[in-house]
Amino acid sequence: MSEMWINMGPQHPMTHGLWNLRVRIDGEVVLDVDPEMGYLHRGIEKISEDRHYNEVVTLMDRTCYVAGLAWEHLYILASEQALHITPPERAQYIRMTCEEFQRIGSHIMWYAAFVNDIGLMTPFLYGMRDRDLVLDLFQSFTGARMTYEYMRVGGVRNDLPPTFTDQARKVLDWLTDRFREYDQLCLGSSIFHKRCDHLGVLKANDCIAHGVTGPMLRSAGVKRDLRKDRPYARYDAVDFDVAVADGADVTARYLVRMEEMRQSIRILRQTVDWLEHHPGPVMAEHLPRWLGAPYAPVGREGYLLKRNYAKGVGFSAVEEPHGEAQAYVVNEGTEHPYRVKFRSPIFANLSAARQYLVGYRVADIPPIMGSVDPCIGEVDR
Amino acid sequence: MSQATLYSVSYDLSNTIASALGSVLPSGARDLITSSGVVTGFAVVIFAVIILAATMLNTILLIWWERKLLGRFMDRRGAMHVGFAGLLQNFADGFKLFRKDTVKPREADPLGFYFGPTAYMITSLAIFGILPISSGWDTGALPLTLLLALAIFAFAPLFIFVSAWSSNNKYSLMGGMRSAAQMIAYEVPLLLAVVSVVIVAGSFDLNTIVYEQQNYWFWGPLILALIVFVAAMLAEMERIPFDLPEAEAELVEGWNTEYGGMFFAFFMFTDYLRALVGSVLVVLLFFGGWTLPSWVPSVATSWPLAGIFWFMVKTYIVFGVFVWIRASLPRVRTDQLLRVGWNRMIPLGLVSVFVAALLVVAKCVWPFGCLPTP
Repeated sequence: MSEMWINMGPQHPMTHGLWNLRVRIDGEVVLDVDPEMGYLHRGIEKISEDRHYNEVVTLMDRTCYVAGLAWEHLYILASEQALHITPPERAQYIRMTCEEFQRIGSHIMWYAAFVNDIGLMTPFLYGMRDRDLVLDLFQSFTGARMTYEYMRVGGVRNDLPPTFTDQARKVLDWLTDRFREYDQLCLGSSIFHKRCDHLGVLKANDCIAHGVTGPMLRSAGVKRDLRKDRPYARYDAVDFDVAVADGADVTARYLVRMEEMRQSIRILRQTVDWLEHHPGPVMAEHLPRWLGAPYAPVGREGYLLKRNYAKGVGFSAVEEPHGEAQAYVVNEGTEHPYRVKFRSPIFANLSAARQYLVGYRVADIPPIMGSVDPCIGEVDR
Repeated sequence: MSQATLYSVSYDLSNTIASALGSVLPSGARDLITSSGVVTGFAVVIFAVIILAATMLNTILLIWWERKLLGRFMDRRGAMHVGFAGLLQNFADGFKLFRKDTVKPREADPLGFYFGPTAYMITSLAIFGILPISSGWDTGALPLTLLLALAIFAFAPLFIFVSAWSSNNKYSLMGGMRSAAQMIAYEVPLLLAVVSVVIVAGSFDLNTIVYEQQNYWFWGPLILALIVFVAAMLAEMERIPFDLPEAEAELVEGWNTEYGGMFFAFFMFTDYLRALVGSVLVVLLFFGGWTLPSWVPSVATSWPLAGIFWFMVKTYIVFGVFVWIRASLPRVRTDQLLRVGWNRMIPLGLVSVFVAALLVVAKCVWPFGCLPTP
């Protein structure tokens, strides 16, 4: 069997989404790879220019289907800066709670998909089982399990239900135990180490050169986390550590993500305590009328009218579960943003595929790509 | 009447049917139908049908057993809705697959594409024609049943490779390559483990091998051979952790990527058929076949078909262990698999052959006991 190109995608179990990894192989050895993205482009940035600020939140849930609330948070932060609005503190804590629970949900989803890639079937179902608890929690205050449409410019749509704190603590206790079990199932298996150690190595220099961020960067030993380095919301008020590992390989990424989930639990215990003792408004006061109604989207009256509100630009950067997401919103004084631009962390992580795939074997591609945790909705937007 | 055997059952059945038919026919036809040649021929057909039906039923039950057990390992319940506790789910799935169209890729070679899965299934089914399942419940005429069973068992990579290559798909081809490499590599340790049993039992006849285990089952002293055999069997059956020929993460579905409908059902069915062969061989070679240890009260074995019952119980327990392994281990890589095969399994197999030779020389070994034949 001489060299040949094979298409891993757009429909392939390895891809976890709609993209194509072209691989040139010689027998089982990978000689070259060529990631092709763009199959899932929906023009979210362009559509945003035609919508009210709060209507764009709907699209944010569709960027990354496992981290919708983190992307809502990202967009809302940039919009608020552009519109010169400060949300109340309780809303900020609720948003942090959402983002951290979303991080846990996203990482559990990653865990389930990743272990399935290396042939472990049982943890896959354990992961899906435990992620359901997080989704139940989201359902209790957003009403949805996947596309939440919860955050609003100036705050959040509604306050948490009174049962939330108890339910959240129960979930956190349960997850703390389960993470121990996850580790036993993976790190306790020598076959797992055989499949994952020294695989897909991407050193710190290469990570920085290719703009790779998030758990991949931290697994290379770089202590970079936007929640610490450029705190947004109230991350400056909570106590947590940045998860770092040294290996720069698949195992290191596993360790970083597991540790991140533990740190998220630590953050959540603090925010849930805070929320229990600090009732208050969850929407900013004195919002423009067209932003005011938290539930119903504003009517279409005056949609095309140019009004003169204060202009501004907003930039936000959020440590999304997959890496550093950034948003740029330009407010030209109308009811909809003039321009919205996002930076997708996974786009950069996937673009560096040649750096961490070439030289390994075909059977190594699923664990390596699994450790990148691709979420294609966010890559193509 | 002496104890019922497979022969006697099918012969009696054939005789009954022939005389019943003959009683309503004119005398010329009656003589023809009740002649010994026709009755024997008919008995052989009944014999084959019984084996085929029992094999298929057991294979489908085995799939159910795996689904339920795997479900429990994964904190879910498995198939629940069709039949009692999902017992009929696999029949429903099978009928669905048989009703579906088989789509052949335009560039695929029709001969190999259709011949591969068919031959794969037929050869695997043929193994059950020679495996004994209880005393008297076998063909009984062959002194080399074990050798023949393993020889037929070893056909599989050929047919897998034929169907993989003729599918004209890169994933199928890679899966076929892996499958052939893996099965051939693990054939050697498999045979070494079998050879150790054969040395101790002094025969290739499975009946004799079971008879030789009346004082102690071979798994105790031949634990090394058991480990090698089970590992090699896992590779031969292509189950996790050695299921890389159909590693769905990278190879989509491996060598059966292009198959759908009935031919896919053939492949899936045959995979479980081979798993059944593997479990049966483990029971026959290492766990005393249909016999129970002498300290078990005779009430457990005195009723009719008790041998078959205990044989099935053991087979399903052994398969349960395979399912357990599947539920808890990740998949290894091809090069790692081959390295383990050549570097670990073959030396271990050789050691177990040596142990077997010592066992024969020593005759009696504490704490197991003595071999029955002098």
